[in-house]
Amino acid sequence: MANIRTIIVDDEAPARDIIRHYLGELEDIEIVAECSDGFSGLKTISSMKPDLVFLDIQMPRLTGIEMLEVMTEKPVIIFTTAYDQFALKAFELNAVDYLLKPFHKRRFLDAVSKAAEKIRSGAETKEPSGILENKPEPSSPVNRIVVRKGSAINLIPVDQVKYVEAQDDYVMIHHASGKALKQQTMKFYEENLPPKDFVRIHRSFIVRVQEINRIEPYEKENYIAVLKSGEKLPVSRAGYKHLREELSF
Amino acid sequence: MKHPVLENRVRLVVWWLAWLFLAAGQSLSYYFAYGSLVIFSIVDPVLSLIIYSALALSLWYPFAFINKGEATILSRALNLVITGALSVTLWVLLSKLLIPLILPGEENFEEYWKATFYYRAGSGIFIYCLTILTYYLFVSLTNLSEKKSREAKLESLVRETELKMLRSQINPHFLFNSLNSVSSLTITDPGKAREMVIKLSEFMRYALSKKDEQPVSLRSELENLRLYLDIEKVRFGDRLSTEEKIEGACLDIKMPVMLLQPLYENAIKHGVYESTESVRIATTVKLIDGYMEITISNNYDIVPESRKGTGTGLSNVARRLELFYGNNASMNISAENGIFTVRLYIPSECK
Repeated sequence: MANIRTIIVDDEAPARDIIRHYLGELEDIEIVAECSDGFSGLKTISSMKPDLVFLDIQMPRLTGIEMLEVMTEKPVIIFTTAYDQFALKAFELNAVDYLLKPFHKRRFLDAVSKAAEKIRSGAETKEPSGILENKPEPSSPVNRIVVRKGSAINLIPVDQVKYVEAQDDYVMIHHASGKALKQQTMKFYEENLPPKDFVRIHRSFIVRVQEINRIEPYEKENYIAVLKSGEKLPVSRAGYKHLREELSF
Repeated sequence: MKHPVLENRVRLVVWWLAWLFLAAGQSLSYYFAYGSLVIFSIVDPVLSLIIYSALALSLWYPFAFINKGEATILSRALNLVITGALSVTLWVLLSKLLIPLILPGEENFEEYWKATFYYRAGSGIFIYCLTILTYYLFVSLTNLSEKKSREAKLESLVRETELKMLRSQINPHFLFNSLNSVSSLTITDPGKAREMVIKLSEFMRYALSKKDEQPVSLRSELENLRLYLDIEKVRFGDRLSTEEKIEGACLDIKMPVMLLQPLYENAIKHGVYESTESVRIATTVKLIDGYMEITISNNYDIVPESRKGTGTGLSNVARRLELFYGNNASMNISAENGIFTVRLYIPSECK
């Protein structure tokens, strides 16, 4: 049986050390790479296509969660972190297990055998359809959006987002220097964009309030928001109510 | 509620003096009623008002009972009117019975009584109203002062609690990640693991033991912060370095305990956590015109963070400064060219 090819992604050296040490005793696991930040982790994972990844969450440049959001072929993931508030989300992202630091060796080996079973059985890692239907987190609003364009990874600062448009299972993010497609739900953005800046004006549109130039009536009981850029977006009746509340007019 | 007059000797004296005035008034009115000054028109008012005064003292109890609880204004008023009618009647009867006993042998009593009866009843009602008003005045004044002292107590309690709350809480992520490093070091470098456990213990002891808000010296604050930064250096290795420039004269200046820790925690959270480059945290302390200037700065990656901080760390420090020093301390923050700087000004004479 082929070895399980494994990558460790963690920004703290002692944290990588202990995983490496625990894995050293297992014969069928081969560590093919170690990375200390999200960007290099993502790059290494897509080039080496490992079977298993130990993934920290809080890391420079890209968080573990953001890495998973833009990964196309997902290996089996075991999250290792001290941030227990991410546990729920990690399972939604189809992580096979979630190790809270510091973890006991027994607990670690359990997680590895769970992962090995999944890899050996060839069970396909489910596609992330609907998995990013996140529970609202107690943390602050998102500050950047990570998107993939071909093989390049771009970080769009939320400051530059003009509006978000629903497109089937994806959302189109219209920002200051173009637009980008991302697999994510409108609900996620409704709950995680800064609420004082963005309003959901329609089932398919969340718009930055400051981008709205004027609101014009359109047919009966419907409205259209005209943006500063001249683009016109439909406003539903509920959206009109949201706008009124937000702008208090 | 306690009896407002009986509980206090001074009030009791004032109470009786007030009744003397009333007696004088009454004696004047009886003089007009009866037409000539007789011994009665002096002795009777004094005696009858002594009776009424005792009666009025005991009126407090039905008064307090009537006003207890959630009774409507109408039912209170009705109760007060009934009490008034009963007490005035009782008083008139008592006067009629007792005064001839005390001053026997006065033949004109019947005539005198008849002539002054309406004045007597009228003044009884007037005095009853006066008594009730006095009691009301007393109750509202007491409520007011009680409310004020309650508010003052509450305010100091809130301030104390707030100070405690604002005291830097040890970030659980710091603790668990450090413990994870220890767990790892027990395998790779047991000596270093032991050292880290000791540093962590010392840091925690300092952070947890200072329960009261007694000011500490800058020296002990800095010693403790070095422990904290040493622990973080084990986690982050080369990614974190520190630098200190401290004027010796500042070391004994007193300041709130654990005031600076959140600022370093911030530097690590927004600097080291988010950057692949090495982050340098520089601390400078110097005396300027009676103030100690503490400057903490760090470089940071200008790429936007995944989620913005809530700013609680910094605002808690600012709030603590305000609670501790009033307007006599300040904090300013700047972020320029990839360098984040916090400057604190703390009065140096607070030794």
